[in-house]
Amino acid sequence: MSKETIAELVDVSRFYGKDDGQVTALESVSLSLARGDAYVLVGPSGSGKSTLLHLLGCIDKQDSGSVIIDGIDITMKSLEELAPVRLEKIGFVFQSFNLIPVLTAYENAEIPLLFRGFGSSFVKDRVNEVLEKVGLYDRKHHYPRQMSGGQQQRVAIARAIVGNPSLILADEPTANLDSKTGGDILDLLLNLNSDEELSVFVASHDIVVLERISKVVRILDGKLSID
Amino acid sequence: MNIIKLAHLSLRNLFRNGRRTLITVLVSAAGFAALAILAGYMDFSFYGLRELTICKGFTAGGGTGHVQVFNRESLTKEELYPMQFGIEDNEKIRSDIESIDNVSFTMPRIEFNGLISNGDKSISFLGLGVEPDKEAGLIQYWNSLEKMSFKNNLSDEAYVQLEKKGPNSVLLGQQMARALNAEAGTDLMLMSTTVDGAVNAVDVTVAGIIRGAMKAIDRHYLVAPVETAENLLQTDRVSNIVVVLKQTEDTAVTSRIIEKKIAGRSGQTVYSVIPWDRLAEYYYSVRDVYNIIFSFTGIIVVAIVFLSCANTMLMATMERVREIGTLKAIGVSNFWISLMFLIEGFMIGILGIAAGLGLKYIFSVIINSSGFRMPPPPGMSASYLLKIFPASEFLPWIALLILFSTTMSGMLTLLKIRKISIVNSLTHV
Repeated sequence: MSKETIAELVDVSRFYGKDDGQVTALESVSLSLARGDAYVLVGPSGSGKSTLLHLLGCIDKQDSGSVIIDGIDITMKSLEELAPVRLEKIGFVFQSFNLIPVLTAYENAEIPLLFRGFGSSFVKDRVNEVLEKVGLYDRKHHYPRQMSGGQQQRVAIARAIVGNPSLILADEPTANLDSKTGGDILDLLLNLNSDEELSVFVASHDIVVLERISKVVRILDGKLSID
Repeated sequence: MNIIKLAHLSLRNLFRNGRRTLITVLVSAAGFAALAILAGYMDFSFYGLRELTICKGFTAGGGTGHVQVFNRESLTKEELYPMQFGIEDNEKIRSDIESIDNVSFTMPRIEFNGLISNGDKSISFLGLGVEPDKEAGLIQYWNSLEKMSFKNNLSDEAYVQLEKKGPNSVLLGQQMARALNAEAGTDLMLMSTTVDGAVNAVDVTVAGIIRGAMKAIDRHYLVAPVETAENLLQTDRVSNIVVVLKQTEDTAVTSRIIEKKIAGRSGQTVYSVIPWDRLAEYYYSVRDVYNIIFSFTGIIVVAIVFLSCANTMLMATMERVREIGTLKAIGVSNFWISLMFLIEGFMIGILGIAAGLGLKYIFSVIINSSGFRMPPPPGMSASYLLKIFPASEFLPWIALLILFSTTMSGMLTLLKIRKISIVNSLTHV
C-alpha cells in the first residue's frame, strides 16, 4: 500500500534576480514526499538545496508551479497567509539553532504552542514531554548561552516537534556540531521518524547523514533526482 | 496567545540593552515630569490669575470681587449724566446680599472721572470711590488663600492709610503721583461734573501711593473714599455693588441666589448680577495665550519622547532581525511580533511615567521651596512667586499622552517587520 503524500512540488521553478542577471535556483522541479518517511537532500553549494527547503517550509514563494503541504494547496497564498500553515504543519531545525537568547530552553520550546491557543496545562505537559524526549528536561531552565551546541540543537528540535507537525525540515542540522554530537542529533531525528512516524527532510553535506538515511534526493543545477 | 507570556518576552527584551532602555525610560520620565510640572505651573498661573482678578484686578476698577450687582440699564445704555444708571438703594440691597450664607461681605463702588490738579498742572483721572476698609478686606481675602499664602501676600497698607485719613483723601497711582510731583500729605484738587451737570471741585490730601498692575493705567488712576466721590458728584447713588464670597468655587451658585433675592425684593429684574468671570476679559485673554504656549510646548515634548522611543524600537528591530525571521519561520504572524514591540513601547511608557512621577514630585518640592520669583508678565509691574501645583486632574491625561507616544513608536516597527524577508533574516548576522 502506498503511503500518503505529506508534501508535493509540481513543476516548481524559482528564479533570483531580473533580466540578464537572473539566476535559476530551481527549474521545473517535481517532488513528492511520503508521510512518515525520512529523506536527505544532497547537492553542492548553490545547487538549490536551501531554496527547495524554503519552498517546502512555506517561507519562500515559487515563481511557477504549485506546492501542496499536507493536502493544502498553498500555491496562491502569501507568506503572511502561510503563517498558520508553518505553525501547525512544519517544524524547522536550523543549522545555527536560531533560539531566542532571552528565553530558557522550556520557553523556546513552548513558542509554537503559545500561538496556537492551547491551554496552559496542556502546553506545560507537552513541552515537558518533548524536553524529556530530547533529553533536556533537567536543563529546561537554562538559557541558550548556558548550553552546548548540541544541547541548543536539541532545544531547536524540541521546538520543531512540540506542535506535532506533519513535516520536520532540517537545514544542515549537524554542520555546526562535532561528529559525536552531530551523530546524536541525527539519532534523535531518526528516532522521532521511526518512533513517531514524523516525516523528516534533512538537507546536509554530512556523509554520515547520507549513510544513515536511505531515501536520497539529489539536486544539481536546480534539477532533482531521487534514489 | 497568552498576552502575559508575550509581555514577559517583551520585558526580557527590554533588558537586553539595559543602557539604551534606561536612556529611553529617562527621556519618557523627563517628558512626563516636564508636562506634569508645566501643568502644575499652568494650574498655579490660572488659579493665581483668577484670584488676582477677583482681589486686585488689572484695571482702574480694582478687583472684581466674586460677583457684582449693576443697574441693568447701565450695561446697555449710555449715561446722559454721571450716575444716571447708578444703584439708588444700595444699603438695602447690600444688607439683603450679606444675609446669604456664602457671602463674606459687600462693598459699594463709584466710578468717576475728571481732572486732578496740583495748582500748576492738571491731568485727567479715572477715579474709584471705595470703602477703604472693605477694599483692604478684599486684599486680605487674597492673603488668606492657603494656596497663595506663601510669600505672595499683597499689601493693604495704602487702603489702611486711606481709611485713617478719612474723607477728602486719595490714593494716587505711582505714575500719576510722579506726574503731579505728589507724595503722601500733598494737597490736590479734584474737579468733575455733578449729576446735575454743574462743575464741582473738592480739595483732597494724598494719603498714599499705589501701584497698579498696569503702568498705563497707573498714570490716570486714583482711589478715594466713597464719601469723597459722592461729595464730588453730589449723589448718593453707587455705580455697582461688589460681593465677596467666602470661596470662589461658590460663585455660580451664589450668583443665582443673589439674583433671586434681589428680584424677589423688587418684584422685577432691575439689577444684573454678574459673576467675576464675565467681568474678566483680561483673565480670559491671558488664559488663551497661556493655553497656546502650553499646548505648543506639550507637542514638542511628546514629539521628543516619541522620536526617542521610536529610535530605540527601530534599533531593537534591527538587532533582532534574525529572531524576527525565526519567529516568522516558526509561524508567528506579523501581528504578534509587532504586538511584542508595542508592549515593549508600552512598558517603556509605564516605567517612564513611574519615574516621571518621582521626578515631578522632587522638582515640585525644590521649586516650591526655592522662593524663586518670576519676572512681571508683559504689561504688569509686579513679579510673582513661582509655585507648582499638584495638578492631579491633569496627570492621567499626561500619562495617557506619554503612553500613547511610546506605544505608538512601537507601531513604526510594524512597517519594518513586514519588510523583513524570512529567508534572508535566518542567516542575518
